[in-house]
Amino acid sequence: MEIGKRDRCVLASHDLTVSYGPDSRPVLHALSVAFARERFTALVGPNGCGKSTLLKAIMGFLKPWAGRVTLDGAPLVGMPRRELARRIAYLPQENFCPDHIRLGELVELGGYARYAMFGGPSDADRRLFEAALATVGLDGMGSVRVSAMSGGQRQRAWLAMVLAQDADTILLDEPVNHLDLKYQYQILDLVHTLTRRGKTVVAVLHDLNLTAAFADAVVMLKDGAVVAEGPTAEAVTTETVRRVFDFEADVFERDGRLVCLPLNRPGASDIAA
Amino acid sequence: MSQRSFLMAGGLCVLLVALAANLSLGSTDIPLSSIFDAVVAFDGDSYDHFILLYQRLPRAMIAMFVGAVMACGGAVLQGLTRNPLASPAILGISSGATLFVIASVFFLALPPAWQGAAAVAGGLLGFASCLLVARLTGMSRDPRGLSLILSGAVLSMLYTSIANALMLASPSQRTDFLSWMSGNINHVYADRLYDFWWLGAAGLAVMFVLARPLTLVTLGRDKAASAGVDVRRVTLTALGAVVVSASAAVAICGPVGFVGLIVPHVVRPFFGAGFGASLPANAVLGAAVCLLADLAARTAFAPYVLHTGVMMDLLGGLVFAVIVKRTYLGAGARGMA
Repeated sequence: MEIGKRDRCVLASHDLTVSYGPDSRPVLHALSVAFARERFTALVGPNGCGKSTLLKAIMGFLKPWAGRVTLDGAPLVGMPRRELARRIAYLPQENFCPDHIRLGELVELGGYARYAMFGGPSDADRRLFEAALATVGLDGMGSVRVSAMSGGQRQRAWLAMVLAQDADTILLDEPVNHLDLKYQYQILDLVHTLTRRGKTVVAVLHDLNLTAAFADAVVMLKDGAVVAEGPTAEAVTTETVRRVFDFEADVFERDGRLVCLPLNRPGASDIAA
Repeated sequence: MSQRSFLMAGGLCVLLVALAANLSLGSTDIPLSSIFDAVVAFDGDSYDHFILLYQRLPRAMIAMFVGAVMACGGAVLQGLTRNPLASPAILGISSGATLFVIASVFFLALPPAWQGAAAVAGGLLGFASCLLVARLTGMSRDPRGLSLILSGAVLSMLYTSIANALMLASPSQRTDFLSWMSGNINHVYADRLYDFWWLGAAGLAVMFVLARPLTLVTLGRDKAASAGVDVRRVTLTALGAVVVSASAAVAICGPVGFVGLIVPHVVRPFFGAGFGASLPANAVLGAAVCLLADLAARTAFAPYVLHTGVMMDLLGGLVFAVIVKRTYLGAGARGMA
């Protein structure tokens, strides 16, 4: 059972303790978690619980005090950036694109880890770029400047760049923040389809209902530790929501899908009174 | 992409026209056919040929070298600092190099061939001190990078005034450097070009090779690293290349300012912010701008001949004011997220 589980897990942290500096207190405390292969796992928890920190630690942007991160069983520490980029792609929470960069250029930069020093993209790379643009619904827009795009288009442009990296594991830090509801659904639906093409996706999400609607599995964090993990329907319960988010929730199923609402009706809460 | 190739061809045409005009026009106008003859079949008895080969051609080559190096350096600095006012002249590189060249001659009596090393050391120190002062004055709480520009401006004034003080203190030596200090593209510095051109060429080559990872770094350190870039190494190597090549330009003909500030702004709307396309365009257009500035300096106020550096300062001051207005005072202040 234990071995079978490990087989299905591609990315895992083992007793990971991380802080943002030698003097600040750790954000993650001996955190052990494993992400299942070819599944869309949502990382949820209140602000400051360590969701983004976990992704940054996996990417090696923060050096852990203790513990390690493994990919397919092998430790990631010391792996050259180019090799890591061919295996894990990462989309930060805030993305900056200078003026005058076109979508096509952005996507081409995504394939950087596969190019030779003086070479550029191969024919296969170019086909991959077109497929990535088609996947996010921006095909034929390669010559449009990213700064001229709408918020939803821009977020899909960053996703296309991540797809152009052609890594099997994809980490997304709040990919639907600041987006209209329609685009939140669209992008999460898109992210979910990626798992059917062999991608393993880990995404930080804020909204429990979006999580319930789209994610295969959930990892719930609080104060840098895992409170619950597992398939979405099993992990998200009244009990775990209370422990993680500190409010009484009504969690129920409707047409086979999970819904999570505050238990108190508006006006009945003691904070409002 | 084909549109950019077309634009690039246009840029090369501008450069060729600027070069022909620079060689042909002056106190005596030399016909284009003579320019061709002077290069393929030099006639030592022809006054025109002599002027061309020993005065105007070296002068034009210095102008093209300075223009290409400073424009590419400015483009890289503006991209990496995300600051539209960044350029070798504004971030302390030019003034640091100037001070070290003057000091190395006055105190150590370094021969010209070694002044390039002094310039590079000064450029590195000037740039490093600019970054340090900006850091100390709170760059992290300054999203528009104003402290970087201000510390660069203050340190540039400091280094330039120290260099001026050294010059004033040694009347016997200052005549040699009086013209040089104000950015003087002149054939008398041809030997310096032959000494130091390779420093600039090497710097440009490094920037061109790093074009793609550098573009990724402009998207953000984490984004670049996750795409496979060794951010620290690429950034340091590129900044080193900028400092070395800009310092070499200063070692040749003194601090010619503003070309590194202006040209990237002209290039960007046409060739984009990706360095793969924009660096060659910056090199070509920077060379053309310096050729035209040199031509204007020689002919606009004839019979008086201005220094090209003075000409660039006149033009650059205006452009600087426009960018400040757009970036720091404009309602939108776009692109500074």
